[in-house]
Amino acid sequence: MTRTSRSFRTLAVTAAATALGLLATACGGGDGATDAASDGKPVTLDYWTWTLGAKSTVDAFNRTHKDIKIRFTEIPSGTEGYSKLANAVKAGNAPDVATIEYQMVPEFASQGNLLDLTRYAGDTVRTKFPKSVQSLVTFGGRTWTVPYDLAPQLLYYRTDLFKKYGITVPTTWDEFRKAAEKVKKQDGGVRLASLPKNDPALLAALSWQAGGKWFGTEGDAWKTGVDDTPTKKVTAYWDGLVKDGLVQTFTGYSPEETKARAQGKTIAFLGASWSAGGMKTALPDLKGKWAVAPLPHWGTAASGNYGGTSYGVLKGSEHAEAATEFITWLTTNKAGVEARLADLESPSSALPADPDMRKVAAAEFDTGYFDGQDLYGLASRQADTIVPGWTWGPDQMDVYTAIQDTTAKSGFTAGVEAGERKAESGITDRGLKLAN
Amino acid sequence: MAAPLARTAGPPAGRRTPDRRVPGGPGAATRAARGRRRAAAVLITPFFALFAVVMIAPIGYALWMSLFQERSSGLGFGGTRRVFAGLGNYTAALSDAGFRASFAHIALYCALYIPVMTGGSLALALLVDSALARAKRFFQLALFLPHAIPGLIASIIWIYLYTPGLSPVLDGIQAAGGSWDFYAGDHVLLSLVNLSAWQWTGYNMVIFYAALQAVPREVIEAAVVDGAGALRTAIQIKVPMIASAVVMTVLFTCVGAIQIFTEPKLLNQRGAPSIDTAWSPTLFIWKAGFVQHDYGLAAAASLLLAALGIALSFLVTRLGNRWKAAA
Repeated sequence: MTRTSRSFRTLAVTAAATALGLLATACGGGDGATDAASDGKPVTLDYWTWTLGAKSTVDAFNRTHKDIKIRFTEIPSGTEGYSKLANAVKAGNAPDVATIEYQMVPEFASQGNLLDLTRYAGDTVRTKFPKSVQSLVTFGGRTWTVPYDLAPQLLYYRTDLFKKYGITVPTTWDEFRKAAEKVKKQDGGVRLASLPKNDPALLAALSWQAGGKWFGTEGDAWKTGVDDTPTKKVTAYWDGLVKDGLVQTFTGYSPEETKARAQGKTIAFLGASWSAGGMKTALPDLKGKWAVAPLPHWGTAASGNYGGTSYGVLKGSEHAEAATEFITWLTTNKAGVEARLADLESPSSALPADPDMRKVAAAEFDTGYFDGQDLYGLASRQADTIVPGWTWGPDQMDVYTAIQDTTAKSGFTAGVEAGERKAESGITDRGLKLAN
Repeated sequence: MAAPLARTAGPPAGRRTPDRRVPGGPGAATRAARGRRRAAAVLITPFFALFAVVMIAPIGYALWMSLFQERSSGLGFGGTRRVFAGLGNYTAALSDAGFRASFAHIALYCALYIPVMTGGSLALALLVDSALARAKRFFQLALFLPHAIPGLIASIIWIYLYTPGLSPVLDGIQAAGGSWDFYAGDHVLLSLVNLSAWQWTGYNMVIFYAALQAVPREVIEAAVVDGAGALRTAIQIKVPMIASAVVMTVLFTCVGAIQIFTEPKLLNQRGAPSIDTAWSPTLFIWKAGFVQHDYGLAAAASLLLAALGIALSFLVTRLGNRWKAAA
């Protein structure tokens, strides 16, 4: 490079200053927010979700409501979806309504991404939903989201292949292990089930079922127990199954996992009430060959929640009241629940948390895929066994990635130990109080 | 791009002294100079406008963000507050074992990838340069083709080929009685290098090949007359003559390689055990920003990575110039 002359440098500085000036002007313009409701026109709400059946639900709402219009955008589920939401809140262009899984409610609320809905939906949550569900959306005495579904754990299995290998549906984890041994012995290429190493939410549900409590609150402080005794029992059990080659460890929700199910190389899987919806589209050829049973347990019937969603209003929304009306319709109105299950392209099989809505959903769900088996009846009974007292943490995502990273390297037990360390440091790093 | 690579016998175009003889006397000369300066200002402003908007402003904003942390108290449901942290985010990043490890990962990756890729493309360029005229065009296109596929798609294709149960390659290996795990701890780096090299070897080969076209044929003929074989001509004549292109390529590759993101991200999602969520510095930054929602830490880590990029560019240019001077 040749030496720059003085005049060039002056020029450059002037040009840069002009450019920055232009930038500043550009950023300053147009910030007049108006409330659409006041001028008689319908309020338009933005709604971001990844749930099945969302499109028909929104269409049904828009058909029947004159003063609220919903604009629906599909976003990815999991980390990517929550990043998108959190960033939108930071950038000031967040949607009004979004799907927030129970596992993300404390994190989203404590990071200031959610509006406090106590004023608008506090009564609905208190009167319509069981106590055990209320505690998943109520923190610090405030209602943050409105529950939609429960996700009791279920075992989905191939009836034809269970018969072929001569195994009965396992009811306890001991029987599950014996069944796994029996399958492997008969065909080295087939396994009873697969436990993904990259699905900490499933590990959480299994720990929940066993009586583990990953988080809790004590006054104004958090308590952590990601590697508590019941959880360690669960991880030791699965580490054992993996070590003995009794289960596969396909990446969760991956093409290879689906392929193994489609080819009959995995003959059962650990799912929840919502899993059924996706099977109709992912494994259409296996219609009539699947059945559902309660997940095996540790001695007494119990279940965790594997997923489960609620609806929140994001910070920055100027239409909290209208948004709550939409949410209430989604979660507790017959028409809302029916529309979701009637979606032709991606029907949902979620079990509503509102007991009145369960009957509505059960009547709407097409049981043809399961040869007429009453999935909703089973899921409802299983939901009654969900162990109370579970709390999700304020740094859940970070705990999940810690578990996932370590599990991939050194197994489930090491995974939850790393998760516990991250749970503690994540809480104190943000200035929150830790009791243990 | 070809201009600086060509070595001409005359004085370099840039250093020619401007013609100062302007008709009309000294007054007219200053007026003309002023006019020229104004014209230059008009021409250069768009560049600085864009530079300020897309470079200076974001860096400034990142610098500002890196000085703050979000804090809550108790259970955390009373809202968050932004506190000035000074260099707190920088010390937090540097004392994070995961962040330090991510630099070790990319150092190892660069140590493998850069020689393999640069050496490979140089070898291919030299081969194509000495091949038959018709085959040249074919090889040029065929080798460049992988680069025409977007990096994300290429990664997905390779990961498909790496995944047991899906991969026809692995099926073939198994059918032949062998076994290989592309995701295993000590193999995964090779899988990663393979993926990147596949994408970039052809691209850099084209750059080297273009530079080779500018090597004066007389020089090569002279070497041949002096009795140099094809290999010797390639190594002792051609390579030193395209030193500028090699240095430039290594510089770009270094800057690109330390920012590797897509490939390890996808490998991580596919459950490769030794590629964790924060395997590379960019992944660490992504995780800090989008999983932990800690924008201050993400900004600080980004600036630290940028500093490494600048230092590395400086080092490569320095070493490159020394090599070019020697060559």
